[in-house]
Amino acid sequence: MTNLTPWVLLLPLLGFILQGLFGKFMPRRAILTIAWGASGLAFVFAAISFFSMLHTAPAARLNDAVLYTWASSGTVANHVLSGNVPLNISFGLLLDPLSATMLLVITGVGFLIHIYSAGYMEDDPSFWRFFAYLNFFIFAMVLLVSADNFLFLLVGWGLVGLASFLLIGFWYTKRSAVDAARKALVINIIGDLGMMLAIFLIFQHYGTLNYLTNGSINGVFDLVTKGGVATGVTTAICLLLFVACAAKSAQLPLYMWLPDAMEGPTPVSALIHAATMVTAGVYLVARANPLFQVSPDALIVVAIIGGVTALFAATIALTQLDIKRVLAYSTISQLGYMFMAEGAHNYSAGVFHLTTHAYFKALLFLGAGAIIHSLGGEQDMRNMGGLSKRLKITMVTFVIASLAISGIIPFAGFWSKDDIIGSLLTQAVNGGGALFYVLWIMALITAGLTAFYMFRLVFGIFAGDYRGQGPLAHGHGSDEVTDEEHEGGHGGLYAIYEAPAVMTIPLIILAVLSTIGGLIGSYAIFGQPHWNIFASWLSPVFTNPAWTNLPVQDLSLSFGLTLTSGLLSFGLACLGILVAWRMYGKGFVYKESKNPIYQLLIHKYYIDEICIALIINPIKWVGRTASALLEGNLLDGGSRGIAWVSRGSSDGLRRLQTGYMRNYALAILFGVVLLIIYFAVMRG
Amino acid sequence: MHHAIPISWYLIVSAILFTLGTIGVLVRRNPLTIFMSIELMLNAVNLSFITFSSYLNSVDGQMFVFIVLTVAAAEVVVGLAIIVSIFRTRRNINVDEMNVLRG
Amino acid sequence: MIAGVPIPNFIEFVVLAVASIASGLGVILFKSAIHSALTLILALLFVALFYLLLGAMFIAVVQVLIYAGAIMVLFLFVVTMLASENTGDVIEPDRKPWQRGIAATLGFILIGALSYLLFTGTAINSAAITTAASGNGLAQHVADPKLGNTQAFGLALFHGFSFPFEITSLLIIVALLGAMVLGRRSLSRDERH
Repeated sequence: MTNLTPWVLLLPLLGFILQGLFGKFMPRRAILTIAWGASGLAFVFAAISFFSMLHTAPAARLNDAVLYTWASSGTVANHVLSGNVPLNISFGLLLDPLSATMLLVITGVGFLIHIYSAGYMEDDPSFWRFFAYLNFFIFAMVLLVSADNFLFLLVGWGLVGLASFLLIGFWYTKRSAVDAARKALVINIIGDLGMMLAIFLIFQHYGTLNYLTNGSINGVFDLVTKGGVATGVTTAICLLLFVACAAKSAQLPLYMWLPDAMEGPTPVSALIHAATMVTAGVYLVARANPLFQVSPDALIVVAIIGGVTALFAATIALTQLDIKRVLAYSTISQLGYMFMAEGAHNYSAGVFHLTTHAYFKALLFLGAGAIIHSLGGEQDMRNMGGLSKRLKITMVTFVIASLAISGIIPFAGFWSKDDIIGSLLTQAVNGGGALFYVLWIMALITAGLTAFYMFRLVFGIFAGDYRGQGPLAHGHGSDEVTDEEHEGGHGGLYAIYEAPAVMTIPLIILAVLSTIGGLIGSYAIFGQPHWNIFASWLSPVFTNPAWTNLPVQDLSLSFGLTLTSGLLSFGLACLGILVAWRMYGKGFVYKESKNPIYQLLIHKYYIDEICIALIINPIKWVGRTASALLEGNLLDGGSRGIAWVSRGSSDGLRRLQTGYMRNYALAILFGVVLLIIYFAVMRG
Repeated sequence: MHHAIPISWYLIVSAILFTLGTIGVLVRRNPLTIFMSIELMLNAVNLSFITFSSYLNSVDGQMFVFIVLTVAAAEVVVGLAIIVSIFRTRRNINVDEMNVLRG
Repeated sequence: MIAGVPIPNFIEFVVLAVASIASGLGVILFKSAIHSALTLILALLFVALFYLLLGAMFIAVVQVLIYAGAIMVLFLFVVTMLASENTGDVIEPDRKPWQRGIAATLGFILIGALSYLLFTGTAINSAAITTAASGNGLAQHVADPKLGNTQAFGLALFHGFSFPFEITSLLIIVALLGAMVLGRRSLSRDERH
């Protein structure tokens, strides 16, 4: 089995370095060659590694390419094995089914978005910088998913946070973009803190940071299964890791950065904030599943937060007017689904939804980007409508993606979403208790809401009559506010043209994937885990026969219950679409409603205002007071005090310099007398 | 040489003369008088040197006095030259007036 | 014997002591600078007599010749030259009268401390001191009792102290030059051509 992960890691890094250093002076063709080459080759190498894995026996699909030893000396305590273990932290790239899946998604979708960006960013003067950052992001994300120990996972975690910051604030002259980037960074740092604390705990108790045993280095997961560490500790570790996941994957209460992250260019939203970076949290829970399996309480927290977030975000998405914001809240909601599945012990279902979500969410964002591009920067749904006449390809792919996310057979989203909803019911039936019944119902309701708001979006953009005034003069990056500030567009509907091929081809590819991509897990509908190709592909990661101490989950559900659950979710989705058709089928008419619930939703539950009042303003107050008190009184006062002391003492001492010789002589005499008295006393 | 008088008597006289010279330096305002008081101090010291030379039967003390004498002479010459030149410019020789170096 | 000292020695010592202290007082107390100078000459003479008493004949004569003879004459020149400009000492009142009090106090303290030290110091047994001193490397040039003072002095000067002697002559030359430079009247504007 060939592990080409080092190349997958290295090529985007090289692309970043080359474009970062020289991109300013390179022509567009050169930049695109490097960028497309790096990400394309990365995808090719990932695919080669994947195919070589297919030819290996399932039990042997594990390859850890250790590149160098980062720290190796002395011994360190651990609470599982007796005595101390040698300290050894090395940098290696792990290739196993989970990381191979993630690599394919990242490099594949990443490559498509690289192609798309060539068209979307064609008018931008910082063309080279965008592709440099995109390559850097691919590198960081690959590092995150293929690191073989927690330390370099953290490195990748931080680097993707950096990439996100750089890309959200790509148009750094815009105040709102900079603020959004800063918000994302601050919230992500909270997550990084959680992860660091978790790593400290892991190291303290297990003495190692590697996932799996590799030669003389112990693996955390192998040690976890041996027991010996208190449940409280493992629960703490898992909860801290989940803090990091909540920050990165925008779950409650750390989700606020994701809607604001839409200030970045749309390809960024597609790649980072839909398909890949935000899924890092889901990946982490899946990767650390042994830790979570021995801490059932932590998993319950994961499931609850996932469920509540899914429902919460879906309700907000019902009323949003900026098309990108609708998609952002939809992403938060779908991520909640993935965490719900993992909380129900069905990790492969979560990862499956991750992959299908990558297809259709990237497609949705890229389609939105094509619409924005064609309209010259318009993002407000109130100024769209009737675009089905002009943007044919965009419309078809967008509708396909909406069908997929709503969970309509046979599109990809149906299989994965149903897998999740089914697993909730499984857990409820197999002993999870009333909680999972409640979560199951929440998931069903959310599915209905998802279908509704997605098709509200679809009809709002494409149905009815065109409400806008034609393509705007300027480019991308307009705010979500009304177009009163803009000049009237020119030409009306018939000046709007479809996006260029370089943008529509990725749309088509992703649409194909959204259609057939779910079939690989389609046997899950029948409730028997071993009929699910995707799950069996991933099973060595989640059910290692060497881990004898882990509770074995029964993930099977009777066919009847599976069918019931599937039909319910499908039915609710259709219901949602129908309601949307009834309300908006003839075009989206915007009525400002005074309904308090509507106001609550459209203002996103006033969370931002609450945060500002409860957190930001007190911090600012503390800062101001501290500055006034400490700096004003203490530091400034201190330095002024020192100046006063030195001036005062020098003024005082100056008086000795009278200029009168006699005074000086007196001083000398005085000193002499003192000396003599001293000697007299000493003698006596 | 046999000494009948204890050494401390001579030294006391020297000390008294020295102190008188010191007081003179501090109290008088005419620089010439101050100079004279300094000469008095030097003489007191010379006296104690000779005393010790006599009581220790050594010539070193007298040698020292010899040199001190010479140095005193040189010092007086230069000092008086300075005073005279100050007097020429200022027409006034009150040391209290010469406080240009006050800080 | 008075206080363990034979009467003749006592008298000569006390007389000289009182006389020198009195003239010292006179130096610092007289208002007129000329009077102070003359009194200083007296003090120097009495100190020279002390030297004689102590057996340093050569130095006594040197003191009279140089100190009283040359230096004080110089002083008197300058005093009379400057005094002709001012009548007597400075007329202005003392700006810092409190210094006198402090000076007097300090002077008494000084005498007191010195006396204490001198009286309670070990009595000097000349023989013992001599041997001890020569053992420490002090008093290198113990006088041969057979020589006279001048002879002994001359021997020491040119055998042991020749280097300081030369340096001293250098010092005198320097002082001479300095005095000449300082004493030169700088040419005033009108005279410069």
